[in-house]
Amino acid sequence: MSETAVAGATLEAGSADAAASPRGVLEVNDVVVQFDTDGGRITAVDGVSMHLATGETLGLVGESGCGKSTLARAIMQLVPMQQGSVRLEDTDLGTLSRRELRRMRHRIQMVFQDPRGSLDPRMSVSSLIGEPLRVHGIGDRAGRARSVAEAMELVGLPEAVADRLPSELSGGQQQRVGIARSIVTAPAVLVCDEPVSALDVSIQAQIINVLDELRDELDLAMLFIAHDLSVVRHLSDRVAVMYLGQIVETGTASEVFTEPRHPYTQGLITSVPRADAESAARLQTARRLVLGELPSLLDPPSGCRYRTRCPYATDECAATEPPPEAVDHAGGLHWVRCHHWRGIAAGSAPQPSSNSQEQAP
Amino acid sequence: MSGMPLLEVEDLHVTFNTASGPVHAVDGVSFTMAPGASLGVVGESGSGKSVTARALLRLFAITDDARISGSVHFDGADLLRIDERRLRHVRGGQIGMIFQDPLTSLNPLMTVGEQIAESLRLHRGMGRSEAASEAVELLGRVGIADPERRATELPNSFSGGMRQRVMISLAIACRPRLLIADEPTTALDVTVQAEILLLLDELRRSEDMALMLITHDFGVVAATCEDVQVMYAGKLVEKASMAHLFDRANHPYTEGLLRLVPRFEDAHAGRLHPIPGQPPITGGGGSSCAFAPRCAHAFDRCRDEVPPEVAVGPQHLSACWLAAERAKDGTEAGRPWKRAQ
Repeated sequence: MSETAVAGATLEAGSADAAASPRGVLEVNDVVVQFDTDGGRITAVDGVSMHLATGETLGLVGESGCGKSTLARAIMQLVPMQQGSVRLEDTDLGTLSRRELRRMRHRIQMVFQDPRGSLDPRMSVSSLIGEPLRVHGIGDRAGRARSVAEAMELVGLPEAVADRLPSELSGGQQQRVGIARSIVTAPAVLVCDEPVSALDVSIQAQIINVLDELRDELDLAMLFIAHDLSVVRHLSDRVAVMYLGQIVETGTASEVFTEPRHPYTQGLITSVPRADAESAARLQTARRLVLGELPSLLDPPSGCRYRTRCPYATDECAATEPPPEAVDHAGGLHWVRCHHWRGIAAGSAPQPSSNSQEQAP
Repeated sequence: MSGMPLLEVEDLHVTFNTASGPVHAVDGVSFTMAPGASLGVVGESGSGKSVTARALLRLFAITDDARISGSVHFDGADLLRIDERRLRHVRGGQIGMIFQDPLTSLNPLMTVGEQIAESLRLHRGMGRSEAASEAVELLGRVGIADPERRATELPNSFSGGMRQRVMISLAIACRPRLLIADEPTTALDVTVQAEILLLLDELRRSEDMALMLITHDFGVVAATCEDVQVMYAGKLVEKASMAHLFDRANHPYTEGLLRLVPRFEDAHAGRLHPIPGQPPITGGGGSSCAFAPRCAHAFDRCRDEVPPEVAVGPQHLSACWLAAERAKDGTEAGRPWKRAQ
């Protein structure tokens, strides 16, 4: 945790030109979230910074337990932060009273994984979609009805379902209602936490297209959290890779996905099963890049968080935490947190260490 | 591929009687698997792929009100006709199964070592101490570190990936000839998925066990299976070797499934192409091609008659009228929808 947060000490998912310049609708700065558990205190989010510009999608990837959902909740001010700030359109959300915060909420909205769980089963589709407007006291009755109709059209819900209950809708339609609810207040930022992972493949494609179109049409800034890297790559302009509460690599989606520098990012990408002839061989490679299991947050490794699973780890990795470094050729957007990234890229890294035990028989 | 098949499924039908009428979940499915073969079964939810697998072992609740017909020859016996006692021996014995959520199939109150040992005593007639040490050995074989200690723990102390390994060790405990894996990695992180897929592949080879893997993800099939069959509305619409299918998908539904998901290797390539409409909720059983209402290439015949399976390449079958007509004309059968576009 960076208690003496010098500028640039936390890996910032975004442009390199530090400090001052206005950088977008959402600025997340050195956020720390801790929880007390039965086993002790854990740091779920450990000094994360990022920013989002209008019309831009930032994909956030990492294994379950890496802190990506907690970060989303911290940004939404749904869990308390121990440190750091979240600025939405130049307002520091952490300094607002409950009431003021509620008034800001319509500018930042969230789409959840399970559409059914987030919809009141007794409310009709149109009242569900209109609810955020009523809660925030936006518009008069006629204006609200117009906004609801517009939102329904934007997400591709036919007028005919306006009076139906959530239980009368398909899974895809339910998620469209969830999305319509979150855009009806005309937010600047949309935070999507695994919005398609509970849906069948054919429905996934429809919902991904809806989000894609909304981003373009409404000029939304979107934080898109998913464990499916193909979906993230498809939707994101930039991407940030999280591991044990920290961002370990960030950059434009094309840079990070075509030239990943962090061994963890390389392992994640290689693990994606692709429908081609090299599929099995690629998984063998992946197994050599991500060793063993995720360590417990109760006892995170010293130095580099990833070192216990990293085939390139050396004594240096255990001794000192790697600072974020800019990957030189990429115009300042691509950052990585690894002592050995240059050596790995050049093929001259220390040989994969002996802890690369074989997992299988 | 020579010799007797291990599994021979012929004209399998499964009909559920529901409040809103019969649902033909499986509608005349036939296929074979050789010993040690690997077969991926792909389709959307409701295509009948899981029901097919459950029907092989008659794994339905009374409340499902399922009617099964056809035949399932496995190792010489017809599993649809043997008595319940013999079938129990096949389940978890010669045929192992793993599911998406291991927690629902593990007893939360029993240590994992005891659960594996119980199965060994039941199916392999082992004594108490022999079974206990074999259980530890099995946990080690599926890549669980410190198996002696872990054998004494309850399922909920294992992570999702480790739990799935426990399930696999339980499924292979009785040296099955066939392992059926129904969406075994859908709930797992991608790195853990990679480990489990490799493990399944390695076990198939080392234990000379056939693998039937049910999934919606062609990437998962490519990593683990030599053959693939695609199901729609209770029917097999395409069968091929996976290596053949990569760039020679014939059936418009298969092509639709392949184009449906963003492929990792393609950077943002515009909008995705969802298949319009939804699978019929009543399953198959109609007198037309069940996919015709969603197919961009459907013509009159598709709406009037059920298409036959036709050979469109070496060990490559497609149930599509476009393919059938082309085969009859003697013109090239491959990728008929390409021409139609």
